[in-house]
Amino acid sequence: MSEPRQAQTGDAPRVAGPEVLEISGLVKRFAGVPALGGVDLTVRAGEVHGLLGANGCGKSTLIKTLAGVHDADEGRVAIHGQDVPMPFGADGLRTRGLSFVHQDLGLSDAATVLEHFALDHIGVSGGAVRRIPWEAERRRAAELLARFEVAVDPDSRVDQLTPVQRAMVAIVRAVASQEVLARDGERRPQLLILDEPTVFLPSADVGILFRLVDRLRADGDAVILVSHDLDEVLEICDRVTVLRDGKNVGTRDVPGLSRDELVELILGVKIGAVTRPEDGTQRSPEVVLSTRGLSGERVRGLDLDLHPGEVVGVTGLAGSGIEELTDLLYGVRSPTGGTVSVGGEDVARPTPSRMLGHDVVLLPADRKALGSAPRLTVLENMSLPFLRGSFRGGRLRWGALRQQAQDTCVRLHVKPADPAALFSSLSGGNQQKALLGKWLDTKPDVMLLAEPTQGVDVGARREIFRLVREAVAGGAAVLCATSDYEQLVQLADRVLIFADGRVVDEIAGDAITKDALTTAIYAGAAA
Amino acid sequence: MTTTTTRPAPAAGPSGPAAAEPPKLKSRKEPERFALLGVWAIVIIIFSLTTDRFLTEGNISSMLGSQTVLLILALGLLIPLRVGDYDLSVAATLGISAMLVAILNVNEGWNIVPACIVAILAGAVIGAVNGAIVVKFDIDPFIVTLGMSTLLQGVLFWISDSATISGIDVGLSDAVLTNTVLSIPVNFWYAVVLCAALWYVFDYTPGGQRLLFVGQSKDMARLNGIGVGRARFLALVASGTIAALAGVVLAGTTGSADPNSSASFLLPAFAACFLGSTTLKIGRFNPWGTFIALYFIVTGTTGLQLLGAQNYVQQLFYGAALIIAVILSKILRQRNDRRLQNDARQAALATAAAETTQNTKDNA
Repeated sequence: MSEPRQAQTGDAPRVAGPEVLEISGLVKRFAGVPALGGVDLTVRAGEVHGLLGANGCGKSTLIKTLAGVHDADEGRVAIHGQDVPMPFGADGLRTRGLSFVHQDLGLSDAATVLEHFALDHIGVSGGAVRRIPWEAERRRAAELLARFEVAVDPDSRVDQLTPVQRAMVAIVRAVASQEVLARDGERRPQLLILDEPTVFLPSADVGILFRLVDRLRADGDAVILVSHDLDEVLEICDRVTVLRDGKNVGTRDVPGLSRDELVELILGVKIGAVTRPEDGTQRSPEVVLSTRGLSGERVRGLDLDLHPGEVVGVTGLAGSGIEELTDLLYGVRSPTGGTVSVGGEDVARPTPSRMLGHDVVLLPADRKALGSAPRLTVLENMSLPFLRGSFRGGRLRWGALRQQAQDTCVRLHVKPADPAALFSSLSGGNQQKALLGKWLDTKPDVMLLAEPTQGVDVGARREIFRLVREAVAGGAAVLCATSDYEQLVQLADRVLIFADGRVVDEIAGDAITKDALTTAIYAGAAA
Repeated sequence: MTTTTTRPAPAAGPSGPAAAEPPKLKSRKEPERFALLGVWAIVIIIFSLTTDRFLTEGNISSMLGSQTVLLILALGLLIPLRVGDYDLSVAATLGISAMLVAILNVNEGWNIVPACIVAILAGAVIGAVNGAIVVKFDIDPFIVTLGMSTLLQGVLFWISDSATISGIDVGLSDAVLTNTVLSIPVNFWYAVVLCAALWYVFDYTPGGQRLLFVGQSKDMARLNGIGVGRARFLALVASGTIAALAGVVLAGTTGSADPNSSASFLLPAFAACFLGSTTLKIGRFNPWGTFIALYFIVTGTTGLQLLGAQNYVQQLFYGAALIIAVILSKILRQRNDRRLQNDARQAALATAAAETTQNTKDNA
């Protein structure tokens, strides 16, 4: 990450404080099957502690147990050295100084920042008709935001904030509500659990969020960071604890820990470096998708030629236009100018259904809202592109559709390979594999990927890379828009660097490294 | 969209014959799916034991035949509900249709057949207006059809001079009521055919499946190439047309059209649809579930009336059924989700060990 770390307190021994949270031998079974098989975790004041593991390792069960969603079956949890009686319930740990910021942040779009803070301060129960001292509340909110150096107007509505501002408001809010709970005014070290806070953030903004985390650490608070992004973890954390199959694999000090070692800890197997093809000769000279002067809200005058057999990466800072590009190409948003042609044929007004007709598919970044229907089954989600083809003899051939979905799930190692399972019951990585499998089965000419490994564990991530490369070897063209540089290093044949809506640089082949990408992006943004 | 997808033969994947067999899940039993059928059976048994007038041919035939209008209306309502839209104007459309038949046939002296056709076309037009406003201006159909419903009710009083028009051609009455099959009025069988047709469209055609996805997430459906606007428009046209059909059946059943009678159909239709979504296919609006739900309610109210209950028991029953239905469907869906989630978790854990060894081998 290129943002410098400012509040980091030198090279002194990083973790010295007293223990804030001590978990030992925590067991949680579902219908007799242990999801947590005796987990130990110790978090000290003044540390950022990474909690890592592949999907299904027990991470989310652990978090949900601490939050009181599940009741633990065995084990001991102590906060500030005092045992907490089980079951905790929703407030058991919260009232003792533990707070959570979940991925969805728990903010209400239509309410202002001030209203959120005031709600926590005044409390949600009792005295429903007493007057709210709005001026005092506004002062208090402004003070809080100033104290954490969060430049947000208390009167702005949540939906007017940028994603990183929202995340920071959620964190400050969690900390502040803990301070309200500490009645005597004495401030004990708090424990804040951040559950994948960076998933929806543009990479450039992650540094801003981490400065806030640094600040909490400097104040002597403890932070547990749950994340799939190993680079972020290595950047911000003091120690990491890795879970696999519901058990501890180990706790390590981050200084001296390499990315490869971490991957090995998480997966339990050693894995070779990258999946990029040895020879970049898969690319064909013909052009499958091309744009001339394509413009949208951000993208300006894009000329792009996509060849079969190549992965073109697209990256840039937030607002550079990369978030919009896949939507423009797929016709989700209407272009304000320019042309898109597929296979030499102009697509007059691109819409998703027209682009699908040209064998162009999109894997959107927002899996839950745009990629899938979580409340329907895996079978129904995966058979959507094949409905017309499976309507034979006057009815849908569900048997054939089920067989196809099942085969695809087995081939792509989707777990469980059960087409009748509810789509939302799969983990993030398995959902993404199933959706990728759905589109791969249509044998697309062009695949547009938007942040394809967001919220996906390292194991599934590698499989997704492998599947994409297989499709490319089979003659597909892939465009991957992402702010995940590591992904581009592993996957892309060439990378277009966006700044201010235009392509400012192109890096190809072995020249694609994280350093080269970072340099090009910032050089482009500064120009 | 690619329509010809040649699939590699099963089990010939790249991972070879050693590929992990899909885990055999224990077959899912969802006894809740049939709970309503069971309760219905119990209700029937109780009434048969308590009053000997209940299990008579006449009573059964009247129970099945008397509520056909409502069943047809509820089935039409299912279509917009499937795409996630409410149509609150179906009852008013039914009223307009019945009144048009009466006015054209009785006052204007039209032949009954064209009168019925015009009435049904009017329903289609009302649905099209609803749909066009909803899709074109992207407005919540709840509000649009609520407004339309009140507007139509006004039109109904206007064109009828707030008076009941009777004397509709007995031909219509013969076609829907007097003729019987297996001693049950023929209109009941019309409804059964409509129910089967909807079941077929919903479950066995691509169109029905697309409607389902539109109802789940409009954005997702659009990204998958589904014409979301068209689906919503057509759903409202269908519900308007079928509501008008119900109006024609009503006109035939009563031989007259009463501007006050139609509004009372709205809530029972919704109650049947929502209660129906708690049965057979939990959490989904489905035609046979609606069928069962409706006749469960009819059985209950008829039985209570035979036992001497007042007429208002019908409203008590319908209102309670709607509220209980939405609570039930919420609870059942949550239970179902939890069970599926547990199954998935167990299957994942069960395969995890095998997969790990597999991976180790692959990497070696």
